[in-house]
Amino acid sequence: MTAPLHDDQIFFTREAIDAAALIGHVRAAEDGAVVTFDGCVRNHSHGRPTLYLDYEAYESMALAKMREIAAQIHVKFPIHRVAMAHRLGRLQIGETSVFIAVSSPHRPAAFDACRFAIDTLKRTVPIWKKEYFEDGAVWADGELPPVPAEAPARKSAS
Amino acid sequence: MPAVSQTVRVKVLFFGRLKEIAGQSEDSAEIAAGASIEQLFAAFASRYPELAKFRASLVASRNQEFAAWSTPLQADDEVAFLPPVSGG
Repeated sequence: MTAPLHDDQIFFTREAIDAAALIGHVRAAEDGAVVTFDGCVRNHSHGRPTLYLDYEAYESMALAKMREIAAQIHVKFPIHRVAMAHRLGRLQIGETSVFIAVSSPHRPAAFDACRFAIDTLKRTVPIWKKEYFEDGAVWADGELPPVPAEAPARKSAS
Repeated sequence: MPAVSQTVRVKVLFFGRLKEIAGQSEDSAEIAAGASIEQLFAAFASRYPELAKFRASLVASRNQEFAAWSTPLQADDEVAFLPPVSGG
C-alpha cells in the first residue's frame, strides 16, 4: 500500500460544519496562505424571503466527484492541502452549506484553487437543494453537468 | 445464431423532484440486455408520465459516472436520472 498522495479531508455531514477544524487541517508550517470559501444560506431567493433549505445528494457519486475536484486542483495549482465539507439535510438561514479550505506556500495558488473548486462543485457534483418559502417550496434552479457525447446513431447492419 | 431475448436487472435511483414524482428514491427494472439508458428512462416515463416532462433537463449516470443517454446497460448497473445540480 502506498500512502495517500495528499492529506485532504473531503466529506458530507448532517451536523454543523466546523470551519475552524477544516482550516486547522489544511494549515501547516510550510504554508503561507489559507484561502477559504464559506457558502451560507441566504435569507432570500428571487426576491422572496426564504425560510430554510433542504439539501440532498447522490452521496457516493458526489463524494467521488468532490475527491476528483480536489485531485484536479492539486494538478492545476501548486497547493498543499484541501478540505471540503458539504452539509446535507435541513439548513436554517445563515448556516454554512459548504466550506472549502485550501492551503499553499504562496497565496495566488490557494485563491485560484479555491475558486476553481467551488465553481466546479456547483456545476458538476450531484447535490440538490429545495428552497422553502411562506407559500410553498421549489427545487432550486441548477446547472446541468457536462456529460460524455452521445454515440453516433448506429448504422443498420448489412 | 438464434436470437435469444435476454433480460437483465438494473438498479435505478431518483433524486430531487424525480424522487417526488416516482414516490421512491430507488427501484429496479428488468430490461433487454444492451438496452440504452434512454430506453430505461422511457420505461419509467410510461409508468410515471410526469417524468417525461423533465427529460430535456436531465443528465444520466451509469455506475456513478455521467453517461450518454445512448449508453447500453448491463446486468447490475446502477443508473440515476439527475436533475440540474444545485449544491453549494
